[in-house]
Amino acid sequence: MSKITVAGVRGNVKELLEYSTNEKKRNFLETVELQIGLKNYDPQRDKRFSGTVKLPQVPRPGMTICILGDQHDIDRAKHHSFESMSVDDLKKLNKNKKLIKKLARKYDAFIASEQLIKQIPRLLGPGLSKAGKFPTPVSHAEDLAQKVTDVKCTIKFQLKKVLCLGVAVGNVGMTEDHLIGNIMLAINYLVSLLKKGWQNVGSLTIKASMSPPKRLY
Amino acid sequence: MVKRKRAGLVKVQNLPMLQNLIRRDPPSYREEFILQYRHYESQRDIFMSQPDGSESETFCELVGFMSNVCSSFPDLTQEFPNDLAQLLLKNHAVLNYDLREKLVQSLVLLRNKDVIASTTLLQTLFPVLTATQSKALRTQIYTTIVSDIRNANTKTRNHRLNKTVQAVLFGLVEAGKNDPASTSGLWAVKLTRELWKRRVWDDARTVEIMKEASLSANGKVMSGSVRFFLGVDQEMEEAEDSDDGDDVNIGKVKHQAGINKKTNKKKRKVDRAYATLKKQQKNKNKPNPLNFSALHLLHDPQGFAENLFSKHLSRSNTKFKIEQKLLVLQLVSRLIGLHKLSVLGIYSYLLKYLSPRQRDVTHFLACTAQAAHDLVPPDVLEPIVKKIADEFVSEGVASEVATAGLNSIREICARAPLAMNTTLLQDLVEYKGSKDKGVMMAARGLIGLYREIAPEMLKKKDRGKSASMGMKDHETLRFGIEKSGEIEGLELLEEWKEEQRRLKRAEKGLDSDVEGEGLEEVEEDWGAWEAGSDDSDDDETGWINVDSDHEIEISDSEDESEKKPRKKSKKAGEEEEEKVTKDSETPNGQLIDEEIEKKPSTFATTRILTPADFAKLAELRTQAGLDKLLGNGKKADKHHTNRTPITNEDAVDVLAIQGPAKRGKADKEARLAVAAEGREGRDKFGSKKGKHAEKSHSTTNKEKERKKNFLMTVRKAKGKQKRSLVEKRRVLRAHVEKQKKAARKH
Repeated sequence: MSKITVAGVRGNVKELLEYSTNEKKRNFLETVELQIGLKNYDPQRDKRFSGTVKLPQVPRPGMTICILGDQHDIDRAKHHSFESMSVDDLKKLNKNKKLIKKLARKYDAFIASEQLIKQIPRLLGPGLSKAGKFPTPVSHAEDLAQKVTDVKCTIKFQLKKVLCLGVAVGNVGMTEDHLIGNIMLAINYLVSLLKKGWQNVGSLTIKASMSPPKRLY
Repeated sequence: MVKRKRAGLVKVQNLPMLQNLIRRDPPSYREEFILQYRHYESQRDIFMSQPDGSESETFCELVGFMSNVCSSFPDLTQEFPNDLAQLLLKNHAVLNYDLREKLVQSLVLLRNKDVIASTTLLQTLFPVLTATQSKALRTQIYTTIVSDIRNANTKTRNHRLNKTVQAVLFGLVEAGKNDPASTSGLWAVKLTRELWKRRVWDDARTVEIMKEASLSANGKVMSGSVRFFLGVDQEMEEAEDSDDGDDVNIGKVKHQAGINKKTNKKKRKVDRAYATLKKQQKNKNKPNPLNFSALHLLHDPQGFAENLFSKHLSRSNTKFKIEQKLLVLQLVSRLIGLHKLSVLGIYSYLLKYLSPRQRDVTHFLACTAQAAHDLVPPDVLEPIVKKIADEFVSEGVASEVATAGLNSIREICARAPLAMNTTLLQDLVEYKGSKDKGVMMAARGLIGLYREIAPEMLKKKDRGKSASMGMKDHETLRFGIEKSGEIEGLELLEEWKEEQRRLKRAEKGLDSDVEGEGLEEVEEDWGAWEAGSDDSDDDETGWINVDSDHEIEISDSEDESEKKPRKKSKKAGEEEEEKVTKDSETPNGQLIDEEIEKKPSTFATTRILTPADFAKLAELRTQAGLDKLLGNGKKADKHHTNRTPITNEDAVDVLAIQGPAKRGKADKEARLAVAAEGREGRDKFGSKKGKHAEKSHSTTNKEKERKKNFLMTVRKAKGKQKRSLVEKRRVLRAHVEKQKKAARKH
């Protein structure tokens, strides 16, 4: 695969959507994942990269988010029917590692009100940041619903102990154009993160949860 | 039969001879071998009963013989390797030095002949390695083990062997973990480190051994493994560089081969040189194997850091020296910074050591900076910054101290900007007027940092032009916020592309286009539009056309050849499109404007940026950064390019904290030394003549002529040939007169 074209991406996305929405429709909303294989990358010499980018569309609408907040934010959360926890609830966990781990596993992301967030490391210990789910701050002036969508839109590229990574960039319920937009932005951003650009990219593959993979590059 | 007859002539008592014969034809010498084997067995039994017996030479010879030939008679010598191992294991303390060496050698030989497996060999050698008192034996065994494992891993990774060996090493480390006196882990650490350095082992399991070792109670084991984590990557690179050192100079070799007689030997030498060169180039082109640094491969960094801290750095632990504690502290702080851990105890622990009188305080300051990252609650870091400011940066401290203090505060704040409050920052910034260079530079560094991250915290006069202009769209610092990234300078690229398009259109001289655009032209676009109209004026000459085409081609070839045709085709497509629109004579200006309006949001989502695009992006970004620094152009203040974010990947450099070294006043000896150094190779003072005194020869005639007094030579200076006619006549007359006078006298 020498190059990647917009038409090629479009074709692959079409096939993918065709497979997952018509051919073999599953009983759940399949997530579309972008899988990246890197090459010519020396993790010791080149610095490890990590970056977050906000996609134009929410890739996973089913993401569960918990709001850790003061009274005002909890009220707002209830109004939008988001799940929430107060300081007292957190104190009840009593720094118990197992309980905190359970909490971290239960939700995909956390949002904390600005007054509270500075206490989070003390209240909960390293559990949340260990899981990579350190809360995002929200102030009283900001729109909570907007913030929740923002958090849902944001994806994170982070290289772990292997030279490949995968991120959720969309789902099969999205329209073709939206999905393509998300994929393109993710690819462009990823390549801009890499030191040698396209020379570092070994392969790009998209795949819905239960579909065969489609290779883009 | 012929062979047998001839062999009968020689003395079969001579072991090397017999060994040679057996190797050639094992079945015919079976009886002799059995004889020798019995001999060996009896000798062995004697040795078993009194291992410190003096007569070891014959036994030594026998062992050597047996290990060489036993592969020919596997049925007879099943017990032999085991015997050797037992002998070594049980009696290594009392055995004769030669015999011990022979035993180890024989075992290695057996391994090489595949009589025993690597695991058996290593299982025999490890206990001896840790138990023996003899240094020579230890070194021998150590090198044996390393080379054996390396050999086993040359072609492919021998995972099975590695696993067993690592398990053994892990066991060694584990065994002595809680006993401060036990040094059994030392060899494990040494071995692991060596193999890591040579890239034989580079997996998580290896790191796990070191992790276990660094939690050991023994100071030596602990510091060895902590050093491993802190410095092994650098070591590895150095080892690699030194490998590169023995490269061949092909030109030299070829030249030397061509000088004298052309022999086969010389030819071979050249061939060999070529072969090595080829191999090296092949290696160079090979992609790097996946190698993560040891710190990244740790399984549970949080747990590890907490354990290290509570075990080695707690106040109750007094058995380690301060240097060792500093090492641990460096590792813990490195881990905290790298993995963004939260070990809140370390900050109050560090507080104790942050005073100017503390030994190695710069190292402690560096550790503090390393341990800071953006997920540490600011209220934990604030006291540290406050203390550094109070103790290091105040009136009446030496300038070096103030420099170190300011630099470390800058490093901390670069990683955790919220650790600083406005009043303190404004106080510290006042040191920018200091007379000392280090202090002044450090204070300026702090200003530079806060101009980028939070200009509102600085006083107005310190903000600088670009920072205060960018303040409007600068968001305030908040804890825990993670900036969602964007492709840096994307809008620059977009603008550039737009401009290129417009230029091209202008070249074509699309009048309709120009008119249409004129209506909704944004002020910013004026420059481009003007340039475009200029171009269209010049179009008749055809100059600009050629020029711009040329430019575009250059940028293409710079980037990547494979993309060239594609881009070209795209360009062609665009042009075609334009032609079509021109032909149909629709007012396409409006259309294009709509495109411009829509594009900014969708630029990155509708196209895939090619390598050429990225190269242009980088170029534009540096240009914009330059513009910003120079403070010119309206483009400059609009896009503030971000400084490269600190990634905590590297350790904080102690030198960066110390600041520039200040040269103190030298004492007399030093000054004299400097003066003497300056005199080296200089001419002596004195007359010019004196300097020539040491010349080997006397003055030449030429020199004499040159130096002769002028008045003595002035008459001769005019040669005969150059005399004027009058003069010639006069001289001739005088001569004739003289002659006449002489004739009259006679």
